[in-house]
Amino acid sequence: MRSLRHTVAVTTFGLRSIPRRPGNSLVIVIGIAGVVAVLTSVLAMSVGFQRTVSGAARPDRAIVLTTGAESESSSTLSREQVRTFETAPGVAQDPDGKPLVSAEVLLVAPVSRKHNAADAYITLRGVGEQLFRVRPEIELVAGRMFEPGLREVIVGQAAQTQFAGLELGSLLRLHDGDWTIVGVFAGGDNVRESEVMADAQTVLSSYKLDAFNSATVLLDGPSALSRFDQALQREPALNVKVYAEPAYVAMVSRPTHRLLRIVAFAIGGIMSIGALFGALNTMYSALIARTTEIATLRAIGFGSASVIASILIEALLLALAGACIGIAIAYAAFNGRAISTLGGARWDSQVVYALTITPGLVALAIGLACGIGLLGALFPALRAARVSVADALRMS
Amino acid sequence: MNLLPLVWAGVWRRPWRTSFTAASIAVAFLLVGLLQGVNAGFEQTIAAARRDLLTTDARVRGSPPMPISMRDDIARVPGVAQIAPRAYFVGIFRPPYDIPAIATEPAAFFSLRPTLTVEPGHIDAIQATRTGLLATPALLRMYELEIGDKITLRSRERRLDGSSDWPFDIVGTFDSVNDPNTAVLAVINYAYFDESRAANRGTVERFYLRIADPRKSVATAAAIDALFANSSHETRTRSDQERAEADTKQLGDIAFFTNAILGAVLFALLFLTANAMRQSIHERLGEFAVLKALGFRDSTVFGLALAEALVLYVAGAVAGLALAAALAPLADEVTGAIRVSREVVLRAIGLAALLAAASVALPSLRLYRLSVAGALANH
Repeated sequence: MRSLRHTVAVTTFGLRSIPRRPGNSLVIVIGIAGVVAVLTSVLAMSVGFQRTVSGAARPDRAIVLTTGAESESSSTLSREQVRTFETAPGVAQDPDGKPLVSAEVLLVAPVSRKHNAADAYITLRGVGEQLFRVRPEIELVAGRMFEPGLREVIVGQAAQTQFAGLELGSLLRLHDGDWTIVGVFAGGDNVRESEVMADAQTVLSSYKLDAFNSATVLLDGPSALSRFDQALQREPALNVKVYAEPAYVAMVSRPTHRLLRIVAFAIGGIMSIGALFGALNTMYSALIARTTEIATLRAIGFGSASVIASILIEALLLALAGACIGIAIAYAAFNGRAISTLGGARWDSQVVYALTITPGLVALAIGLACGIGLLGALFPALRAARVSVADALRMS
Repeated sequence: MNLLPLVWAGVWRRPWRTSFTAASIAVAFLLVGLLQGVNAGFEQTIAAARRDLLTTDARVRGSPPMPISMRDDIARVPGVAQIAPRAYFVGIFRPPYDIPAIATEPAAFFSLRPTLTVEPGHIDAIQATRTGLLATPALLRMYELEIGDKITLRSRERRLDGSSDWPFDIVGTFDSVNDPNTAVLAVINYAYFDESRAANRGTVERFYLRIADPRKSVATAAAIDALFANSSHETRTRSDQERAEADTKQLGDIAFFTNAILGAVLFALLFLTANAMRQSIHERLGEFAVLKALGFRDSTVFGLALAEALVLYVAGAVAGLALAAALAPLADEVTGAIRVSREVVLRAIGLAALLAAASVALPSLRLYRLSVAGALANH
């Protein structure tokens, strides 16, 4: 109990002296704020990307690809293949008994970025007539649906925010001429919002193609997946592989996600080491400034433990202040900011997503800041507790 | 009078502070080296790409292939010196791996692709053998093949007779300058491939061309694209340099990203070092007063402080940049392009000198105003 009171007393003493040495204390705060701001921002990219890519994935939806294909764009499904698995058990049906399957073809549409007019490609997805039943999260928010047979497309809201020339009524230049944007769709946290969609049959005939890339299938509940899969595997000639949608998005987003995390932790790690040296500097300086004071306290009976604890607590509080500033900067500058990078449904197409700072990221940043603060204060604290009182008093 | 011992003594006045400050500087310049290296790597890729080598593709990606007859039209455009077609063939030798092959006219193709190296004898060999195939060393190793082997590739691309088996003779090798010993690629004769295939006969996916004058790349590209404007095969012609630049931009705004991080790092660093210098000078005000009393000029005293900061900064920066250069190959695997070039190093050291000056600027104002009597009385 006494040592606790002592610790509180020494700590208060130390904290009161911070205003007398603002430069030193700010070094630790600013150093940690920098690390936290950078780490949080880069990880917010990774979280935002992950959310967008997997946001709308449902376990009762399946993606069908050719065997061996690792993404939609490297898969080829013929009309016969689609007809065969459309009628397989497990596939949900609309009230008229038609299977809820959207066979899709993926191409790219050339656009230019709004902020620097640079060329980019977004995914052009030819979709089946059951689109809105297979993906109920997608809804038209402006204009109307495209008419099959006409050169018409609908465009995602997120794509509109990043790329020029995608307004309602604009013309989109595809290889055989201009296609009119007749509608705008929204779909929550969804990678589809970075795309433009058109009727699959119209796209196939205008690009003179005869095969789809993939098919999205709505199932009779999540448990129907294995039934559907087994039925397809029983037909060796079919040569397709079925993925539950969550598993599929996890597979295709892994490389980008991994890259962002490596970059975040490599840069954050290096910056942390730099901030650690800054913290060491701060705490050693604080110690020197307080040599006489600490020696006096120990001379009148305060224990080493209280002195060590007080230095650790001081560093911790400064680190926390730094973490809060860093998070605030990252939050104000980037949270919710939409960006686009490679990572769309095709290897060369863009995906639009918003940087997202989650409570988990905040906790991680605070944990890291506390770690840096504690580690930076540990050695100075141990030294302060070891210096002989007589020496310290004489030195001053 | 030699002032170096004085500078040296000042630097080591508080060994722990000097060490931690130098370490912070080293870490910051490790990041400067790596991030600027990434920027330089991408810039280098763009700068190294040639302006006299052009490619003509369909205007919209994913369009049906272009007719080979366009070759003659393009060749007639003034300034076009050489042209080669490219079609793509994917064969399976042993599942599940694919062998990607470029069907082209090998002699022209290799002279238009300086990033591919090949022995002249091997070009002659594939020109002389209709079913000839050149493979990269990595491809040969992967399937345990050697020159002289006859192989049959199975393909989705059917032959005229309905079969999907394509026989080839391996007559030589070539390699990529950028990924030596790792690129898996083959080159085959366009004539053989095109005559034998059932679908899309007489079409190509891309033309490679060289123009006589690199300065005319934009005008020539525009002239070629104008030829096919409003036809059913609109084209897009770009120089290699333009393509490299567009590919880099596709990744997102890398320069903004790296500069934002460096801004945060350097700000924190400047604050840290300025504070260390302030403390160091503050603790030694008495000594500086003695120097002044001995007749040292204000500018000499300021020079001493600046020299201390420079020693710290340059030593830290050199250590950090050396570490960056050592780590560059590791980082290259992540980013795909990084180059800690001499220019990056020189710019970084210039930056270090600038930061050193900035970090002593404020604290040394006190040195100028320092009243000798006052300072000596206080100490």
